[in-house]
Amino acid sequence: MSPVCTPVAGRIEHGGTAPDGTTLVSMTVGPEEPVFPGHYPGFPIFPGVCVIEFLHRGALAAAPGPDHTWVLSGIESARFMHPVLPGDPLTAELTWRRDGASGRCSAAVTGPRGTIARIALRFEDRIALRFEDEGAR
Amino acid sequence: MTGMSAGVAELKRRLPHRHPMLLLDRVVRVEPGARLIARKAVTCNEPWYERLADDAAERDHDYPAVLLVESCCQAAGLLATWDAPVPDARGDRVMLFGGISGVRFTGRVRPGDVVEHQVRLVRSFADTVLFEGRSTVGDETVMEIEQLVIAFRPGSGLAPATPATADRA
Repeated sequence: MSPVCTPVAGRIEHGGTAPDGTTLVSMTVGPEEPVFPGHYPGFPIFPGVCVIEFLHRGALAAAPGPDHTWVLSGIESARFMHPVLPGDPLTAELTWRRDGASGRCSAAVTGPRGTIARIALRFEDRIALRFEDEGAR
Repeated sequence: MTGMSAGVAELKRRLPHRHPMLLLDRVVRVEPGARLIARKAVTCNEPWYERLADDAAERDHDYPAVLLVESCCQAAGLLATWDAPVPDARGDRVMLFGGISGVRFTGRVRPGDVVEHQVRLVRSFADTVLFEGRSTVGDETVMEIEQLVIAFRPGSGLAPATPATADRA
């Protein structure tokens, strides 16, 4: 069971934070990822948005502060350079910057064929957001 | 705008994506070369919900933000190829998701919601097309995209071992 609804099934490993403040996260894109049957039939390619999701999940695991109430509020930028294939190991050396109730996490994601993507994500503290109200819209 | 409606059968003639990654259900309007409106109905039957625990809270059922992006990218991809569809991921001309910037998630989406994506073609170069997008549920804007980049490459450029290619949109 997973506590979150996500298209990425693989387990994201958190490699600890270096003295310079960067954090290493990694995962292996297994052939059983649920997106592959449809992206694309007989020609599996890990979608670019799933590379973003890998960084999103890795960023939450490495989020600053003990509260861990960050939610993704935007994608500042994402640029894709290489495709990701079943079996590829992915790593990201991510940098978090916190500014009050907002945060920014950026990283280059690398794989066996070099840099796959450069991504910068925006987060907000859930307490400061209307996401907090629990009811239906 | 050209009034028209294209369902899943038509989408499959125009996009290589299939279940569970065909993330549009209907095109409701298209003005080729300019703008397109498409809908996606979100349901708890999608596989992303399968691994969610039975006691998960309502907010844990928020639709994954990155899949909203993918769904809107597919709307942009349809508009980019309306007059010359690229339905084969292994064809001689392929569509790539080159990048995206200025995305803001401004509302949540949950099972039962119908998301409407409005994409507008901003600029078109030889092999690159730039879009902007807005996605709504009812009267609420749930996502805004300042710039979405779709690129076209020769199919041979997508051989897995070849560098300098990107993920397909």
